[in-house]
Amino acid sequence: MKRTIVLSCLALATAIAGAGCSKDDDGPKVVVYNAQHEQLLEELAPKFEKATGIEVELRNGPDSELAAQLIQEGNASPADVFLTENTPAMSAVERAGLLAPLDAKATDPIPAQYRPSSGLWTGFVARSTVLVYNPSLISEAELPASIMDLADPTYAGKVSFSPTGADFQAIVAAVLDLEGEDATTAWLAGLKANGTTYDGNNVVLEAVNSGESAIGIEYHYYWYRDQAESGDNSDNSELYFFGNQDPGAFLSISGAGVLKGADHPKEAQEFVEFLTSESGQQALADSYALEYPLNPAASLPADVKPFSELQPPTVAISDLDGDQVVELLTEAGFL
Amino acid sequence: MLLGVVVATTSLLPLGFVVVSTAQLGGGEAADLLFRPRVGDLVWNTTRLLVGGVTLSVVLGVGCAWLVVRTDLPLAGLWHGVLCAPLAVPAFVNGYGWVSTTHAVQSYGGAVLVVSLSYYPLVYLPTVAALRRLDSSVEDVAASLGIGGWSSFLRVVLPAISPAVLGGALLVGLHLLGEYGALQLLNYPTLTTGILDQYRTTFNGPRATLLALVLVVFCLVLLGLELLARGQRRRSRVGSGVARTASRHRLGSATPAWVLGLVGFAALTLGVPLVSLVRWLVRGNSSSLPQGDLGAALGSTLGLAITGGLLATVAALPVAWLAVRHRGVLVTVVERAVYPANALPGIVVALSLVTISIRVVPALYQTLPLLVVGYAILFLPRAVVGVRSTLELAPPVLDDVATSLGCTRAGAARRVTLPLVLPGLAASMALVSLAVGTELTATLLLSPIGTSTLATEFWSRASAVAYGAAAPYALALILLSVPATWLLGRAAVAPARTDPKGPA
Amino acid sequence: MTGLRVTGLTKSFGAVRVLDRVDLDVPGGITAVLGASGCGKTTLLRLVAGFLEPDAGTIRLGDRVVAGEGRPVPPRGRRTGYVPQEGALFPHLDVAANIAFGLGRSRRSAAGRARVAEMLDLVELPRAAASRQPHQLSGGQQQRVALARALAPRPDLVLLDEPFSSLDAGLREETGRAVARALRATEATAVLVTHDQGEALSLADQVAVMADGRFLQVTTPTNVYLDPASAAVAAFVGHAALVPAIASNGRATSPLGELPLRGVREGLVLLAVRPEQVAVTAKDDPGSLAAEVLEVSFFGHDATVRARVAGTDEPVEVTARVPATGVPQPGEEIGVRVVGDVLAFASGATA
Repeated sequence: MKRTIVLSCLALATAIAGAGCSKDDDGPKVVVYNAQHEQLLEELAPKFEKATGIEVELRNGPDSELAAQLIQEGNASPADVFLTENTPAMSAVERAGLLAPLDAKATDPIPAQYRPSSGLWTGFVARSTVLVYNPSLISEAELPASIMDLADPTYAGKVSFSPTGADFQAIVAAVLDLEGEDATTAWLAGLKANGTTYDGNNVVLEAVNSGESAIGIEYHYYWYRDQAESGDNSDNSELYFFGNQDPGAFLSISGAGVLKGADHPKEAQEFVEFLTSESGQQALADSYALEYPLNPAASLPADVKPFSELQPPTVAISDLDGDQVVELLTEAGFL
Repeated sequence: MLLGVVVATTSLLPLGFVVVSTAQLGGGEAADLLFRPRVGDLVWNTTRLLVGGVTLSVVLGVGCAWLVVRTDLPLAGLWHGVLCAPLAVPAFVNGYGWVSTTHAVQSYGGAVLVVSLSYYPLVYLPTVAALRRLDSSVEDVAASLGIGGWSSFLRVVLPAISPAVLGGALLVGLHLLGEYGALQLLNYPTLTTGILDQYRTTFNGPRATLLALVLVVFCLVLLGLELLARGQRRRSRVGSGVARTASRHRLGSATPAWVLGLVGFAALTLGVPLVSLVRWLVRGNSSSLPQGDLGAALGSTLGLAITGGLLATVAALPVAWLAVRHRGVLVTVVERAVYPANALPGIVVALSLVTISIRVVPALYQTLPLLVVGYAILFLPRAVVGVRSTLELAPPVLDDVATSLGCTRAGAARRVTLPLVLPGLAASMALVSLAVGTELTATLLLSPIGTSTLATEFWSRASAVAYGAAAPYALALILLSVPATWLLGRAAVAPARTDPKGPA
Repeated sequence: MTGLRVTGLTKSFGAVRVLDRVDLDVPGGITAVLGASGCGKTTLLRLVAGFLEPDAGTIRLGDRVVAGEGRPVPPRGRRTGYVPQEGALFPHLDVAANIAFGLGRSRRSAAGRARVAEMLDLVELPRAAASRQPHQLSGGQQQRVALARALAPRPDLVLLDEPFSSLDAGLREETGRAVARALRATEATAVLVTHDQGEALSLADQVAVMADGRFLQVTTPTNVYLDPASAAVAAFVGHAALVPAIASNGRATSPLGELPLRGVREGLVLLAVRPEQVAVTAKDDPGSLAAEVLEVSFFGHDATVRARVAGTDEPVEVTARVPATGVPQPGEEIGVRVVGDVLAFASGATA
C-alpha cells in the first residue's frame, strides 16, 4: 500500500515535470538574451512573430549577468540578439568584440545621438532619471536644482536609491562622464552619508510612497506604471524632472545588438529592425512599459511627460564605463 | 570505498575553492579588499544578528518546549503542532509577510524578530525530543536533595538537554549566516547579501570570494563554539535501569496567562505571514507584472527537487555504507569530509561551483546538471544522516546469515538489505527533495538563465514589491514544505524506536 | 552425519593472534566450545562458517576441504547453518518466509510449505506462528525460529554462536533443551559456542575447553568435569579450591589434611577441591578441620559457604555446598572435611 502511494506520487511528479519542459519547434526562430523588462518583450515578441512568422525564444536576466554570460560564452553562445536595459552592459559586450554590425535598416530610424558611431548596436528605448518625492515630507521648492546637490548635508536622511542595481550604476556612469572622477567620488560619499539604500527601484518607489523616505533616485517609468495600474505605490508621491542638461536628467538608453556568433543572423537583424521600426516602436509606446521610444515617429500616451520636454545632458554613450563605476561604488562603501 | 572518496572530494570542493582563491589573491591585495569599512559594516551586522537571533531563538525554543512537554498545558498536542508549523513557512516567505505589512521590520530589531520567529523551531524540536527522553529520576533525586523549581531546571535539566539545545542553536546560527531572501527583503545587509550584491555587479570577482571566506570563517567559528560548549561530559543516563517519563508541572492559576501568551506567539509566527499572504491573494495579482506560469515553475521545481534529492541520496549511500559497515582511518576521513558542507551556506557552494565551472569545466557552466550537483553538495550531510540511520536497520549479521543459507553477496543484498533499507531511503530522499524545492540562494546563482523554480519566481516578484503577484508562489512554497514539517514534528514526539530484532 | 575436522587453524587480527594452531575433531552430535569472552571461540565459528579466511590450517567438512587448500569455499557453498547470538531473523519477512529463506526455488511450493511446517514442529513452535512477524515473538521463540531457519535446508553442520546468552535465565534452560532435542532429532552435527558451563555440560556430547586461542581439553562432559586435564580446566569447569600439597604414593599431605588422590602424582602438587567434596560438620567433629565462615550465599535450593581453614601457615579458603536446612552464619565456627578422591595437578611452585 505504502509502495503504491510512493510510486504514484513519483509518477505524478514526473508527469508534471515533463509537462513543464518546453517543446522543440522547427521553423525560423531567433534567440534573444533579454535584459530589458521581461513583460515588455513578452508583449512585443508575439507582434513580431505574427508579422514575420519567426519564433522568438526569450532568455531573461539582469544586465550584468547576461553580459557576463555572453562574454563567457563568446562566439559559441546560442544568443542571436542582446537587449540591455542600460548602456554599460552593452558597451562591455561591444568591447569584447562580440557584436556584428547592424543593417542600416535597423539603425536609420533612430537619431544618431542614441546609438554609437561604431554601428555595432543601437538604442531603441530610453528612460529618464527622475526624483520621486513625497510632498508631505518635502516640498518641490526644497528639491535640489542639480542631482549633485543631493550630497549636501541638508538632505541628510532624506534620500533613498538602489546602488546594487544596473540602473543606478548607469546614472553614476553618466555623472562620471559629465563631472569627472573627483566630483563623482565626492557625490557618492555625500549620498552614502545622506541616504538609505534599498535593493530595487520598486522598493525605492514604495519607500517614498509610504513615507519611509522623502526622495528617491530612479527612472521615470516606475512611477508612471504604478499610476497606470493601481497607484498603490505612487499615490502619495510626485515626480520631479531635472532640467538644464543636469546629470540628473540623464537619459539612459536601452540597447539592441546582433551577435557575431549568431546562429540565425538574418532573423536577428529582422528582429532589431522590428524593434526600431515605426510599428515596433509604437507597439512599445502602447505597451505597459511607458519608456520613451527613440523613433521620432512613435509617441507615448499623453499623461507621461513628453519626450520633447526633456533636457538631458549629452553623453557619449559608448564611453559609459561600467567597471570604473563599480570601483567607485566599492570605494564609497556601497558594495 | 572509491565511490565514498569521490563523494567526499566533491563535497570538499567549495571549501577548497574558497581557500585556494584567497591564496591566489595574495596577502596584500586580499587585505586591501578585506579591510574596508563596508566589510566592517557587514561583519558587524552579521555578528549582532547572530547574537540576537540565536539568543532569542534559544529562549523561545526552550521555553516553548518546556511548556509543551513538562507542564500540564491544555491541548499540548495541538500546541506542539502549532509551534512546529513555522518550519513550513520558508524564512523569505515569512520576511515577505512581515515587510508587506509594516516597514518597521526593516531594522535590526525587525531582522532579529523575523529570523527568530522563522528559526526557533530548529531549537524547539530537538529540545522537545530531549526533554521527552530525559530520565525524570535525576530530577526526582535532585528534589530529594532539596533542589527544586528554577534551580532544578538550571542545574539539572538544562545541562542534560544542552547537547540538543546547542545543536539546535548551531543550526539556527548556520541558517542565519546563509540567509539571503528574508534579510534582503528586510533591507538588513549581511555578509551573504553582500556576496550576492557583489556577484550581481562584479560577477565572480575576488571581492565576492573574499566575503565568502569571511563567511566560512564565521561558520567554522560557530562549529567550534558548539563543540567547545558541548564538551566531553556525558549527558545520557549513567547506569542501567529504565528511564521513567516525568510528571508534569502544574501551571495552576497561571494557565490562562500562558495560553494567552502562546496564542499571541502563534499570531506572530503564523498569523502575520499567513494573514498577509491571504490578504495579497485576495487583492489579486498586480497587473504590471507578468502572470507567469505557476504550472511551469511548479514543474521545474518538482523536477529539480526530485533529481537533486535523488543525487544527494545516491551520493550519501557509499559514505553512509562505509560509516556503518567498516572501520579504518580512510573511512573516518571520508565521513568527516562530508560535514564541512553542512556548515557552508548555499551562497558559498553556489559561488564556488560557478567559478570552478567557468575556469575548469566551461561546458557545465549555466547548465542544469551543475545546479543539481550544487543541490547534492548542499544537502549531502542531511542525506547522509538519513541514509545512515536507515542502513543501521540492516546490520551485517543479517548478511552473514543470508550467505550461510546459500545467497551470493548480491543475492543477500537484493533479498535482505534492499527491502529493509528501501522505505527508509525513500523517506530520506523525500525529505531532502522537499528541502531542495524551497531553496532560494544557491538557485539564484546556479540556475541557468530561463530556468525558474517556485522560489526564484516568488523572489523576482517579492523583491520588486509586487506582493500580490508573489502571493500564489508563496502559497505553493508553504504547501510544498508542509509534509516535511509534519514528519519532523511527529518524529520529535515519537516513542523510542523498538529494536527491530524484537524484545531481548 | 558429516564430521568437521579442523587442523592447525591459525588466525590473527593485526598483532593479536586469536587462534593458535587449533585442532578440533567433531565426528557428529553436539560439540560445545567452552571458553571465556575473548578466547577466540567466535572467531573459530566464523572461520568454519566461511565468514573469515584462516591465516593457516585446514577446515574439512566431511570429505571436502573447504579452507586451507586453494581458494576457500564461500559460506553459501559450505552447507552450514548459522545461528547468531541474537537470532537475527529477517525483520521484513514473516516466520514462514524466514524459515524458508534457504530453500531455494522450492520455497514457494507446497514442498517448501511442508518443510516449514516440519521445522516448526521440530523446534516445538505452534503452526500458527508461521504467519507472525519476528518482532511479535519472544526471545526464546525467535531463537527457535533461527534454528529452524538454519536446519530447513538440511545443512551438514550447524553452528550456534552463544545462542542462549541473550535470553532471560528462566528461558535459557528450556530453550536450550528444545534446541538440543531438535538437533538430535535431525541427527545434525552441531558446534555450539558458549561461555556458560552449565549449557556446555548439559547439552553437548563433547566439550572443548578453550583459552587464549588454544584448546585445553576436548572430551566428554563427564570427563572434563571429573578428569580435567589441568588445574586451569578444573578451576574453569565447575569451581575448585586450589590448595598446594605434597603427594606421594597415592596420598597428599596438605593443609586440609592427608587426602587420597585420584591418579598418580609425586612431589609438589596443586589440589583441586570441588565444593561438593567439602562436608560441613560441627566445629569439633572428629576428623574435621576447624574453619571460620566468611560468606554465605543462599540460593534457595542450596547455599555455598566460603570458609577459612584455621591453623595453617598461609590462609586456605574452601567453598562448600550445603543444603538449605543446614546453612551456617557468617563468623560462625564450623568444621570442614574433604570427602572422596581429590584431583591433583603438578605444581610449578616451589615449596
